[in-house]
Amino acid sequence: MASVKLTDVKKVYDNHVTTVHDFNLEIKDKEFIVFVGPSGCGKSTTLRMIAGLEDITEGTIEIDGVVVNDLQPKDRDIAMVFQNYALYPHMTVYDNIAFSLRLQKMPEDEIYEKVTNAAEILGITEYLTRKPRALSGGQRQRVAIGRAMVRNSKVFLMDEPLSNLDAKLRNQMRAEIILLRQKLNTTFIYVTHDQTEAMTLGDRIVIMRDGIIEQVGTPMEVFEKPHNIFVAEFIGAPKMNMIKTNLVKEGGCYYVTPFGARIEVDGEKGEELIQKGVKPGPVTLGVRPEHMVLAPEGGQDAIPCKIEVNEMMGSELHLHLVTEDETRLIVRVPTIELSAQQREHLGFGTQLYITFKGKVMHFFDSESGKNLIYG
Amino acid sequence: MSEKQLLDRSSDAPMKRHMGLKASRTLANTSIYVLLVVISVIWLIPFICIVLQSFRVESTGQVGYVIPQQWGVDNYQRLFQTDFPRWYVNTFIAALFTAVFQTIIVLCMSYTLSRFRFKMRKPLMRFMLILSMFPGMLTMIILYRVLSDLGLTQANAVPGLILVYIASSGMGYYVSKGFFDTLPKSLDEAARVDGATRFQVLKKIILPLSKPIVIYTVLTAFMGPWGDFVFARYISFGTSSGMNAAVGLYNWLNRDQIEKSYTLFCAGGVLVAIPVTVLFMCLQKYYVEGVTGGAVKG
Repeated sequence: MASVKLTDVKKVYDNHVTTVHDFNLEIKDKEFIVFVGPSGCGKSTTLRMIAGLEDITEGTIEIDGVVVNDLQPKDRDIAMVFQNYALYPHMTVYDNIAFSLRLQKMPEDEIYEKVTNAAEILGITEYLTRKPRALSGGQRQRVAIGRAMVRNSKVFLMDEPLSNLDAKLRNQMRAEIILLRQKLNTTFIYVTHDQTEAMTLGDRIVIMRDGIIEQVGTPMEVFEKPHNIFVAEFIGAPKMNMIKTNLVKEGGCYYVTPFGARIEVDGEKGEELIQKGVKPGPVTLGVRPEHMVLAPEGGQDAIPCKIEVNEMMGSELHLHLVTEDETRLIVRVPTIELSAQQREHLGFGTQLYITFKGKVMHFFDSESGKNLIYG
Repeated sequence: MSEKQLLDRSSDAPMKRHMGLKASRTLANTSIYVLLVVISVIWLIPFICIVLQSFRVESTGQVGYVIPQQWGVDNYQRLFQTDFPRWYVNTFIAALFTAVFQTIIVLCMSYTLSRFRFKMRKPLMRFMLILSMFPGMLTMIILYRVLSDLGLTQANAVPGLILVYIASSGMGYYVSKGFFDTLPKSLDEAARVDGATRFQVLKKIILPLSKPIVIYTVLTAFMGPWGDFVFARYISFGTSSGMNAAVGLYNWLNRDQIEKSYTLFCAGGVLVAIPVTVLFMCLQKYYVEGVTGGAVKG
């Protein structure tokens, strides 16, 4: 249980490639923080610097108020779970979990108690005498978590722990990590490239790109108030539709004019635009696929499109649409809202109309990509 | 053609082809085995001769036949009245010390080069690789001077030899480094996070996983001094108490010695061969794994 503070942390490799730029972040005690971003964004490097497995080129990392830059991993009081499990192949599951405790010279009966307790929580009691190669992927990952668990360390680090598991198991383990977190009640730092994991696990999410923090916030914040186009597109699946259009101000009201339609920016968003004094002009309009709805033909706010691909996901349909000027959009339609006749009708080339409300719009500067309200 | 005939043909044809394949494979295997047996007989003849000669009692010189007329262990008993036990112990001490120290040095060196990243690491590796391509004989004269200044030649040749054998052992890192490279680095990292020092990582994680390569290293380190002749002869420089077995035995083949010592030489040769043979028979499973394991271990 400890806070972690990173101040101006920078990582430059020997080949002069900078993977992390001036990283500043304060992680509170008992917080579950998730580093998320595309591969190569420096999230794992940052985690490994906290663990002490990579040198820190510049800046300081503090754990519980102590600068740990020059401490060996063993002296930092951290536990870590690796992507490829990193179980010791020549030891049984029991010995794997007991390894760190034996290094601490803990009495064997105490070790026994701790290991069996952890095994029970993780449901691996019956495998304690097996070697790792006789376990399935999910079981191995549990052992890896068990090995980290028994140490009662200040900070719990996880480097993409679920990415080697199949989709079903991943969902299950994700739920188990949430439970584990409640039991351990310690500081977690979790690295993933999967935005779903980030959204479901994190108290706060750190979204990174090219070694730079793009946004830090709660899952709701980064979803509802993305600071820029990158964050807006990265969080949420399928990704947010980006439409180049014009913001018009008439009679104290804002309008957008995508593809010849005219949609009023009403409600909260309109007020926020007025408050911020956003200048009318060309903008990039962001609308999430689930916020676009099918509209009746001929309305002023209806955008005409044709269906390119229709993906049936079960509970919903993902319609890949193309507008008259060849812009591609994705719309998520709940299956339950469609009649059987409509569903059959939605094939390749079908003409339809979509629209969306003002409150779901996001406005970005077309050049810098910054959110015009929150950026 | 009736339907039955058709059926017969269709079921017979692949069968015949199958038989042909099997027959040709048997033929190929048989000829390979015959060839191998012939080669191994040729290979074994000198060894068998030496073993048989070592049990010859009726004469001690070279003779024109292989199978002794009178059998006995006289030669082995006579060995113990010569300097042979001394040579044997010398060889054993040199080989044992070299095996222990060279193994430690090679494994530490390989682990360091495999896991640590430091300036000049690659130039160092390249330099050592090139250096190891020069034959060791080149350094013989200067090494003799150095050792003789240190008083480690002739009667004191054994410590001198150990020093020389161990000194260059770091350069033999190549095979074991290759093996260590195949072990995932995250194992080291997990152990270090778990609280292990670098040395504990090597001792508790890497070495237990590298059994074949450790055994390979021990074996090669033991074999070098055990069979060394040129260097040992040069450093001992004619002083019997500093000789190893190979040098001492060779002296019995001098023109004035050979008539009374040839069977003695054979008995000595057999005794020298025994430990190595036993060692290989016990460890050959690991040895083969070790030689090939570094390259393709998944």
